[in-house]
Amino acid sequence: MSEEIIKTVDRATKELIDKAERENIKTVFSRSEEIRPCPIGIEESCCKICAMGPCRLPRSKKDSQRERVGVCGATIDTIVARNFARRVAAGVAAHSDHAREVAETFLKTARGEAQGFTIKDEVKLLAVALDFGIEIEGKDARDIAIELAEKALREFGRQKGELTYINKAPKKRQDIWRRHGVVPRGIDREVVEVMHRTHMGVDQDYRHILLQTTRCALADGWGGSMISTDLQDIMFGTPVPVLGSINLGVLKEDEVNIVVHGHEPLLPELLVAASREPGIRSLAEKVGAKGINLAGMCCSANEVLMRHGIPCAGNFLQQELAIITGAVELMTVDVQCEMQGLQSVAECFHTKLITTSDRARIEGAEHIEFHPEDGLDTARKILRLAIENYPNRRHAVYIPSYKQDTVVGFSHETINYLLGGLFRASYRPLNDNIINGRIRGVAGVVGCNNVRTPHDLCHLTMIKELIKNDVLVLTTGCAAMACGKAGLLIPEAAKEFAGSGLQEVCEAVGIPPVLHMGACVDNSRILVAATAMVKEGGLGDDLADLPAAGAAPEWMSEKALAIGHYFVASGIFTVFGTTWPTLGSDRVTGHLFKDYEEMFKGMWAYEPDPIKAAQLMIEHIDKKRKALGIDKARERVLFDMAMRRALG
Amino acid sequence: MADYRYEEKEGFDGKKVKVLAGTFDEGKPDAGYDWKIKLATREEKIKYLKTALRYWYSNEWYGSEKNKQGG
Repeated sequence: MSEEIIKTVDRATKELIDKAERENIKTVFSRSEEIRPCPIGIEESCCKICAMGPCRLPRSKKDSQRERVGVCGATIDTIVARNFARRVAAGVAAHSDHAREVAETFLKTARGEAQGFTIKDEVKLLAVALDFGIEIEGKDARDIAIELAEKALREFGRQKGELTYINKAPKKRQDIWRRHGVVPRGIDREVVEVMHRTHMGVDQDYRHILLQTTRCALADGWGGSMISTDLQDIMFGTPVPVLGSINLGVLKEDEVNIVVHGHEPLLPELLVAASREPGIRSLAEKVGAKGINLAGMCCSANEVLMRHGIPCAGNFLQQELAIITGAVELMTVDVQCEMQGLQSVAECFHTKLITTSDRARIEGAEHIEFHPEDGLDTARKILRLAIENYPNRRHAVYIPSYKQDTVVGFSHETINYLLGGLFRASYRPLNDNIINGRIRGVAGVVGCNNVRTPHDLCHLTMIKELIKNDVLVLTTGCAAMACGKAGLLIPEAAKEFAGSGLQEVCEAVGIPPVLHMGACVDNSRILVAATAMVKEGGLGDDLADLPAAGAAPEWMSEKALAIGHYFVASGIFTVFGTTWPTLGSDRVTGHLFKDYEEMFKGMWAYEPDPIKAAQLMIEHIDKKRKALGIDKARERVLFDMAMRRALG
Repeated sequence: MADYRYEEKEGFDGKKVKVLAGTFDEGKPDAGYDWKIKLATREEKIKYLKTALRYWYSNEWYGSEKNKQGG
């Protein structure tokens, strides 16, 4: 008898997978059983960049010494490095095109041309304007915003020089980047150059290809993603702690359910505003619904959850399942991580799937394009469509009862505030508690879900192991949502799951042991928080000196590779689970896993077992503690005047 | 604010001591607490940047990096 494969650790998800199976509805879970990963593709030992191939170059079981080259003579190292570079570039392009859309909308907002958008956070506007070298004295917010938008947009097409945000990093880190020639010039330029260099017959030294990959990845973390986060904060408000609820149980049987899915928070922000208009609410009542229930999915969910407390229906692998409840009148999708399978699931129900971005359509789905100029009207139109669809429910509704309270919205500014108040805001208490050992270190656990590993299991296992060992966890994206569903994002979780030291700190500050920092573009918040820790002092003078590590235990998207690579290039030890895309070449893998530590003081690791991966992170944190000389408790010596004089 | 509650813990000498337990407001908040609303004027906002976010917007701070630059 075959052993049952665990597909998820989330009970709501399990109930709806079972429902889908009973009703013979195909989902990502059933499709993954029908299609196994390609054994050659999984180790990236295939080159298809020219029409002389594809050249498939798997390891020979009989002759391990056989030299593996394509018909053009490209070595397996070149092929694997090229494939890795292209995947990173695709991830950078995704985050950065999101940023471009935000920057263009920001410019229209500043000019008063974007319906429904305003400048909500003037403090952040001033801060980012100063980052970009804009003179703020005597200028009103609108003029500053216009200048900032124009400068931010120039970051994409810049041909020479350095990206502006590079200057936010610790000085020593900047020096390392400059020494290796990986400071990004312009965001688009670095993506284009990866595509050129990996074209047939161009860059054919894997080390050289990976250097450009690094420059490209940095253009995401310290470029596109950071622009997205900052401009979104200015327009929609920098997140502060807010109570929300999460999991499929947030859908309501007697209300019009609208799920916003994707990544760009532009239209979702307007849907939130429009859904609160009395006229729209009374329309819902006219069709017999008790109200309008807006819920999020994936990173769009993170955005509206942390800024408005809008409930989150779930993460990546739950997108089709939300529709299978039979309770969703309409789902909007913009860009990234939206499965094409949504449409065939929607066709089994009354659900309308609406694509909203000019860059993304799904065959069969209705397209209502979002433009900032008439965005609020578009939001109202979409809500009316959902309301009109409420009477068309043709299936018995089944909504799992599971949902969990969650506290989200820990921007780096808010962490700073929580640690010291408004005018004494400081990372000092965090650093002190790392130095005194109550907190062992800090880990960024981020990334996707992957159907090749049980849904949410690796995130939760790894994170529980880390907090049990007094490691404070910062989280974003689907990892953050996994934590929310499991009750790790409430302050009470410290008492149940955290080690005694971390527990004390969480109790004193009133924070959960796992801090939700936002969507996947918001990993830039982690970079800035880590930089503040370095600059505050006592933990070295580079990001690589911090007792810190990163991980994406359930990654699946190219964006995750881009994020991981900019973490590594920023000096952070980063562990990925599930699978690793350079296993086809020992030299490329060795270069990223070992040589990068020498070059960038941060390196990759691959470990699919989440407990072992957490232990690798803790070992790394301990290594850094030792290097800082804070690995052992020391007797506290109170200096008298004579001792002080002796110091001088 | 709720009434003060106490709990028993072990002191440094091993004896049981009564200490003040956590205090909190009952119920759940309706909205997030936007601490930035305290910053009303442009001057207050700039002062906040120079103090709270001094790492980037002020020269008056004393972290490791700053000390090594002789700042």
